[in-house]
Amino acid sequence: MLDLFDNEYGPDGFRTCSVTGLRIHRSAENPTKLFALTAIVALLVGGIFAFTVAMTRWELVGLLEAGDFYTHLSMHAWNLLIFWMIFMEIAVLYVGGPMVLGRRLSIPTLAKVGWGTMVLGAVAVNYGIWKTSAPNEAPLLTAYVPNPSEPLFYAGVIVFLLGATIAALPFFATLWVEKRENAGQTLPLVTFAAFTTAVIAVEAILGGLAAFSYAFLWRMEIIASVDAAIYRQLYWIAGHGTQQINLVAMIAVWYFLTHVVGGAEVVSEKVSRTAFILYLFFINLGAAHHLLSDPAVSTGWRIFNTSYAFYGATFASLIHAFAIPAGIEAGRRRRGLGGGLFGWLTGAPWLNPMFSATIFSIILFGFLGGITGVIMGQLQLNMTWHNTLATVGHFHATVVLGTTVAFMGLTYFAIRTLFMRQFISPKLASIQPYLYSGAMAIATLMLMYVGILYGVPRRTTEVVENIPGTEFSLSAAGPLFSVFGVFALLAIAGGVLFLVLAVGSVLFGKRIEPGDNDDITPDGGLAADGGESVHHYEMRGTFVLCLVFLTAFVITYLLNWYLLSQLWKIGI
Amino acid sequence: MTDSTSSSVFSLASGLFRRTWNDVLSVYYANTPIWRVLKSVGLLFFGFFCWSSANLLLSYRPSWSFLYFVMAYGFALIVWGPLTHFVLLPWVIRLRRTSNHPLTRTIARKGSMLNLSIFLTIVLVLGMAPVSPMLLDFGTLVDDGTGSPDVDPDLECTVVDELVECSLSDPSGIDHVVVTSGQKRIKTVEESPYDFEIRRSDLETVVGQKQFTVELRNEDGDTLRRYKRTVPADGE
Repeated sequence: MLDLFDNEYGPDGFRTCSVTGLRIHRSAENPTKLFALTAIVALLVGGIFAFTVAMTRWELVGLLEAGDFYTHLSMHAWNLLIFWMIFMEIAVLYVGGPMVLGRRLSIPTLAKVGWGTMVLGAVAVNYGIWKTSAPNEAPLLTAYVPNPSEPLFYAGVIVFLLGATIAALPFFATLWVEKRENAGQTLPLVTFAAFTTAVIAVEAILGGLAAFSYAFLWRMEIIASVDAAIYRQLYWIAGHGTQQINLVAMIAVWYFLTHVVGGAEVVSEKVSRTAFILYLFFINLGAAHHLLSDPAVSTGWRIFNTSYAFYGATFASLIHAFAIPAGIEAGRRRRGLGGGLFGWLTGAPWLNPMFSATIFSIILFGFLGGITGVIMGQLQLNMTWHNTLATVGHFHATVVLGTTVAFMGLTYFAIRTLFMRQFISPKLASIQPYLYSGAMAIATLMLMYVGILYGVPRRTTEVVENIPGTEFSLSAAGPLFSVFGVFALLAIAGGVLFLVLAVGSVLFGKRIEPGDNDDITPDGGLAADGGESVHHYEMRGTFVLCLVFLTAFVITYLLNWYLLSQLWKIGI
Repeated sequence: MTDSTSSSVFSLASGLFRRTWNDVLSVYYANTPIWRVLKSVGLLFFGFFCWSSANLLLSYRPSWSFLYFVMAYGFALIVWGPLTHFVLLPWVIRLRRTSNHPLTRTIARKGSMLNLSIFLTIVLVLGMAPVSPMLLDFGTLVDDGTGSPDVDPDLECTVVDELVECSLSDPSGIDHVVVTSGQKRIKTVEESPYDFEIRRSDLETVVGQKQFTVELRNEDGDTLRRYKRTVPADGE
C-alpha cells in the first residue's frame, strides 16, 4: 500500500538505521508504523472535537448547545486521552523492545490481531458515544455507574482493552526471549522504561477490564446492581492508570530522543532505573487523588495515598527532571559543545522538530503539569482545584503539553527513520512544535487561571455567562476566556499543521536514500569519541535550571496554601 | 575571625557576585534565535504569573498596595519581555555594529538602559494608576441581587400505587417544569407550585428501574436545574 511498509532489508530481514545505529527487523518495524498511523487517525478525530469543545467553552462563540456538548467532550476525551495515546504507546513498546534490543518481534501475528481488535473496540466506543441518546448519557472519561451509557460503549472499551493486551504480548515475549538468551545482562534503559510502561499498562488493563465488565453486566441487566463506591475505585485503576502509561512512555521517549537527536548520555543508569521502579510501586496509588472528594473512602486511606505514597512517584519524576537535562548537558559538553552556563542548551539542534518537541515536552510538563499535579494531588489543596477548569488545565499540561508533544517529536522521528521520508516542508516542521506548544501552553495556563482564580466549573456548557439558576456570576473571568479562545485556536492550527506535515510527508515526502538522514544525528556523532567520563563534566547549567524549577514550585505551592488558608472567610 | 579569613570570604562573595552578574548580562545580551525564543517565552509566562498572582493576593489583602507594582510589572512584562528580546535587543546590537550617526551611536550604546528605563517607568505609572484591563475583577462572584435568583429547590417524589407524585420545596424563579423519560416528553407543568403526578407505566425502564428526568426551566426555555429520579419497575 503506497510502499509505506517498504524498506530495504537484508536476507535475514534486518536493516541498520543510519541515525540510531539500531538493527531493525521487518517484523518490528511494520507493526510500529501501523500503530503510529492509527494513532494519527485518532488524533485527527479527537482534534476535530477539540475545536468544537474549545469554541463552546469560549462563549463569545458558544458553538454547541448543552445537549451536544457532553457528547463532543466525550469524543474529544476518548480519542485523545485513550486512542491516540495507547496506539502510540504500543508503537513505543515495539521501538523500546525489539528495535532497541536489535531483535525480531516475537509472535508478530499477535501484533496484527491486537491492532485489529483495538481498532474494532475504538470504532465501537466512538459509535457508542456518538449515538448516545436518552436514557443513556455520554460517558466522558468518568463513565460512572449508575449513570447508564450505551451498552456498545462498554463493550467497545472491553474489546479495546483486550486488543491492547494482545498487542502488548509480542513485546513481553520478545523480552522473555532476550532474557533467556542473555541471562544476567541488564536491559538497555529505554527497554527498561518500556517494560515499566508495559507493567503499569497491565495493571491498568486489568483494572479496566474489571470495571467495565462489571458495568457492562449491569447495563445488560445480567446483574441487578453495582456498588458505586467499589466501581469508582476499580474505574480509577484504569482511568488514571492509562494516564500513568502516558507518563512513563513519555519519559521513555524523552530518554530515547534526547539521546538519538540531542546527543544526551545517561548520567547514572542506576538512579534512572530506580526512578522507574519508584513509579512501579507508587504511581497507581496516586490515582487516589480522583477520590479525594469521595465520601466512600476513609480520610486515612486518602492521606496515605495522596501524601506518603504520592511523594514516591513525585520523587521519581524529580529524578528524571534532573537526569535528562543533565544527560544532555554532560553529553554535549563531552563533545565540546557546551560553552558557558547554557551554551550546551542554546547550541542544541533547535531547528530539529524532534529535539525541540522533546525539550518543550520536558519543560512544559515539568513546570505546568508536574507542579500542579503535586498541588492538586494533596488532600487539602485539592479542595480549591476539584472539578474546576484548573483540573482540565492540569491534564492538558500533562498529557497534551507533555505526552502529545513528546509523541509528536517521536512521529517526526518515525517519518524520517522508519517511513524514510523527507518532510514536505522542513521549515514548517521546524516551526510546528513552537506554534503548538506555545499556544497550547497559554491556553492551558488560562484554563488553570479561570479554574483556580474564579472557580469556573469544568463540566457545564455554560461557564462565563452565568450558570442558569445560580446567584454566582463568573462574568469577571471573561477576559481570561478571551485569551484562552484565541490561543486555543492557534493551538488547533498547530495541531492541524502537525497532521498535514505528518500525513503529507508519509504520503508525498521524498524518499530518503542512504546518507540523507545525517542532518538529524547529534553534533559530534551518536557516541562521543574519546573525552573523559561523563561524570567529569560540569552540569551547572542543569543545576541552575533545577533551582529555577524549585523556586517556581515553592512559590506556587505557598501561594496555593495561602489561598486555602483564606477560605474560612467565605460567608463572613 | 582574622583579617585574612574575612578578606577571603569577601573576595569569594564578590567573585561569586561578579560571576553571577556576568552570567546575567551574557544571558540578557544573548541574541541567537533560540535564546530570543527562550527568553521571550520565559518572560511571557513569568509575566502572566506575576500579574495573576498579584491580582489574586490583592483580592485577599487590599491593603498590600505594593502588589499593584508586582501586577504592573507582570502585566507590562507580557508584552515588553518578548518585545525586548525579539525586537529591541537585536536591533540595538545590530545598531552597535552599523551606526555612524552620533545619535544612533548614542542609542546603540545606551539602548538597553533606555529600554529598561522606559519599561520601569511604565511599571511605575501602571502601579500608581492601574488601568482596568490590568485589574482582574474578583468582586462579582456573588450577584448583587439584580441578576437571576438562586434556583435550587429540593425535589421530593413519592410512589403511591401506580402514581409518582412530585413536589418542589420552592417554586420561585421557575417558569415551567418539563418531565421526560428516555426520549419521550411525559409532561410540561406551567402552574406554580409545579407539583405533578406521572404514571409509572408511562416511564421508560433503564437497567431494571423506571427512570425519569425533571428539568426546571426559565421563560427563555433555558434549563435551570436538572434532576434524575428512579422508581422500582415492579411497584414494590
